[in-house]
Amino acid sequence: MHGRVKVKSTAQQEEEKRKEREKKLKAFVSARDAVLRKRSAGEHDEEALQLTQQLLSSNPDFATLWNYRREVLLQLETSREKDEVQKLYESELHFIEACLKVNPKSYGCWHHRSWVNTRLPQPDWTRELGLCDRCLSLDERNFHCWDYRRVVVKESGVSVEQELQFTDRLIGSNFSNYSSWHYRSTLLPQLHPQPAPDSASNTSPSPTASPQIHSHRVCEEQLLKAEREEMISCVYVSRERERVSVAFSKPVHAQSEGLMLVLDGQPQQVEWRSTHPRLRHSPVWLCDLPPGSVSDISNEHNLTVHWTEKYTHRDCALYTGCAESWCRDSATDQELFRSELSVEKSSVLQAELQSCNQLLELEPQNKWCLLTIILLMRALDPLGHEKETLAHFQTLKEVDPMRSSYYSDLCSKFLIENTILKMEYAEVRVFSLSNKNLTTLCHLDQLLLVTHINLSSNQLLRLPPQFAMLQCLEVLEADDNAIESLEGLYHLPKLEEVSLRNNQICKLSDLESLASCTKLTRLDLRGNPVHKTANIDSELSQLLPLVTALSL
Amino acid sequence: CLSLLSESDDGNFILQGTQVKDVVIKPEAPNTLLLDKHADYIAAYGSKKDDYEYTLSEYLRMSGIYWGLTVMDLMGQLSRMNREEIIEFIKSCQHDCGGISASTGHDPHLLYTLSAVQILSLYDSINVIDVDKVVDYVKGLQQEDGSFAGDKWGEIDTRFSFCAVATLALLGKLDVINMDKAVGFVLSCMNFDGGFGCRPGSESHAGQIYCCTGFLSITGQLHQVNADLLGWWLCERQLPSGGLNGRPEKLPDVCYSWWVLASLKIIGRIHWIDKAKLRSFILACQDEETGGFADRPGDMVDPFHTLFGVAGLSLLGDEQIKPVNPVFCMPEDVLQRIGLQPDLLN
Repeated sequence: MHGRVKVKSTAQQEEEKRKEREKKLKAFVSARDAVLRKRSAGEHDEEALQLTQQLLSSNPDFATLWNYRREVLLQLETSREKDEVQKLYESELHFIEACLKVNPKSYGCWHHRSWVNTRLPQPDWTRELGLCDRCLSLDERNFHCWDYRRVVVKESGVSVEQELQFTDRLIGSNFSNYSSWHYRSTLLPQLHPQPAPDSASNTSPSPTASPQIHSHRVCEEQLLKAEREEMISCVYVSRERERVSVAFSKPVHAQSEGLMLVLDGQPQQVEWRSTHPRLRHSPVWLCDLPPGSVSDISNEHNLTVHWTEKYTHRDCALYTGCAESWCRDSATDQELFRSELSVEKSSVLQAELQSCNQLLELEPQNKWCLLTIILLMRALDPLGHEKETLAHFQTLKEVDPMRSSYYSDLCSKFLIENTILKMEYAEVRVFSLSNKNLTTLCHLDQLLLVTHINLSSNQLLRLPPQFAMLQCLEVLEADDNAIESLEGLYHLPKLEEVSLRNNQICKLSDLESLASCTKLTRLDLRGNPVHKTANIDSELSQLLPLVTALSL
Repeated sequence: CLSLLSESDDGNFILQGTQVKDVVIKPEAPNTLLLDKHADYIAAYGSKKDDYEYTLSEYLRMSGIYWGLTVMDLMGQLSRMNREEIIEFIKSCQHDCGGISASTGHDPHLLYTLSAVQILSLYDSINVIDVDKVVDYVKGLQQEDGSFAGDKWGEIDTRFSFCAVATLALLGKLDVINMDKAVGFVLSCMNFDGGFGCRPGSESHAGQIYCCTGFLSITGQLHQVNADLLGWWLCERQLPSGGLNGRPEKLPDVCYSWWVLASLKIIGRIHWIDKAKLRSFILACQDEETGGFADRPGDMVDPFHTLFGVAGLSLLGDEQIKPVNPVFCMPEDVLQRIGLQPDLLN
């Protein structure tokens, strides 16, 4: 089915081919029918082995035949001595190897070989390892063989070090070595189960030898896999709404996490809900306090949220005279978006960065190099390298235009991260992301406390469900984008003012979720296709009766 | 292009050769969608029961029927297929254990059990087989570690985890298996690059990634995927020709227009692919003479690549084709009728 070239031939060649195939087909059908007849008759004998052998050599994917063969072998086992059984299965291994020579990628062949080794009184794992070595020397990317090798290694107790050496040899001799690098990624953690934060990056090849893998490894180690400690990042309490908002360090399903709310020493019966129905697993969850429990502003209260599944909690004190309160994790930028870096690790990364920059001078269009530099800079100093990072993203989009959407989204993510870091330092609740070529939004769980957000002059297409996590939002500016969907403007309790000039709101139904934002009074929709809808003014005043200042 | 640099004797770098495995699309390759020709090709396929390829592929016949019917339905041509004959055939393939085989006289397997259930869903005739027995069969194949064997002979593969939950979801019986363990097993197959392989420790492969993201969608666990990391690996499958390969350093193949594209759609990153270039590649894989799609331009066509070429075009938004569901690879209207709308990431 794969790799069969369509060859043009003469009428005579066609006729010869047709005759040849008719002959082959007849032979196949007759052998197949004979085998299936024998099986129906319950015959498990040598002849069955011969017939199936004939068919399987050129049709190794005919799975039922392997099944029949196993039934026959199991039957023969019962009437043989151990040494005869050994011979029986050894000759089976011989047969399988012949099949593998013809078709080294047949699931049926490889599985049958594994099965045979479970029946052999004395499996020879050294021979099996040798088979793997030979097979991989012919095709280093044969994943069937790699999977089989993993079984052989496990059964025979080959050491991790030995296997690492094997991958070293392959990697050195072959350009297409992704399978080896993958294998290494599984071996190294077995050697060093708890890598010290400052351990040298010996999981990665040098940037020059294999730039593609290097990018992957830097990515995975430094950034996208940044495992944050599982904790409650933020607790926010509103007296007016008598509501508690909780941000977790990762998406959770509140009802399964053993959450407990304690108010002034008394556990409270509360029901947790997500900020949006589409978010069944979410980093932000809400619950309502019993009516009247915190509404009196002259009272002080102490609130604790316990995350019993993870043995952690967060306290939040609500002081007299304060309408609201919060408590945040005091994460420094080191922990928010990247792994902690020791001095040693930093200098390793610094050296890699230097190496990549040298390579870039020789190959200014090398996309792996550009991407790795960006990732290394983020690991080392995201704010300090911001300008350079933007320039490199621009080059990346020119050099690798097929993936420009990916680069735009990744760049947007990094800009949002930098803005969050700056907001942390300034300790404000106003968040500006205007004019940053943003194509996507992320880390919205970090914006639980934000009251004013400016997303104007970007290339956003939607305010996704996650936007509903901005529980403190009062003012939204999102002019001059391409927004068609406002799903995330959903039950935002404090949202008063929304500006969406020059977007792509087309239908009345696109605005439905706004009806759930009961404090919304000012709405600017100028420059959206929706203004062409018939009777739009009256439709809108019906949909959003509380909006007093509407601009179309 | 990837470059290889190595150090020369004087310590400077030498540029070695660069090679990217890919195809070159000829200027005369097809560039319009030949839907009618494809419908004719599928309608006629298998009518000559003495055809060589057809007979030799009997071991996967149930899946072959599923490919043909699904692509015909996507093209609005399902009525041209022989519904009664197919339903009778499926009935004859259900074994006592409840499992369904690829064809008469062959042994039951999860792969063909899923294909059969998909076909019967298309035809809204699920009750012609013993549904309870199918459910028992699937349930019985779950192992201690949560994985699924393909059949009683014990081959383990995340493809079978997908087959199991997809089958049960179509039958409305997901609750019979140990869901936590099933999820745990699939997650244990996640690799450093965000992708998934056959078994724990196996290399990432687009086909397995499709199965695992489909599995996680059906089981409501997509938040466990690292969508940015996996999405990047997936969009890196796109080669200069516009076609997609299944893993690094491999040739493009039209069936990856499905495995890769559907995975991207499930994790909300389909816009990371250059859609126009992929579309030209898929169209170039058509055979203007015979109808149907081949794995790459100029090769022999078959129903498998025809389905995934058309399904890929549907995911790319071609309005001449019915919308296809990225998890089940079935028309969306069929799933709506059943009431199955698995989550996708945005």
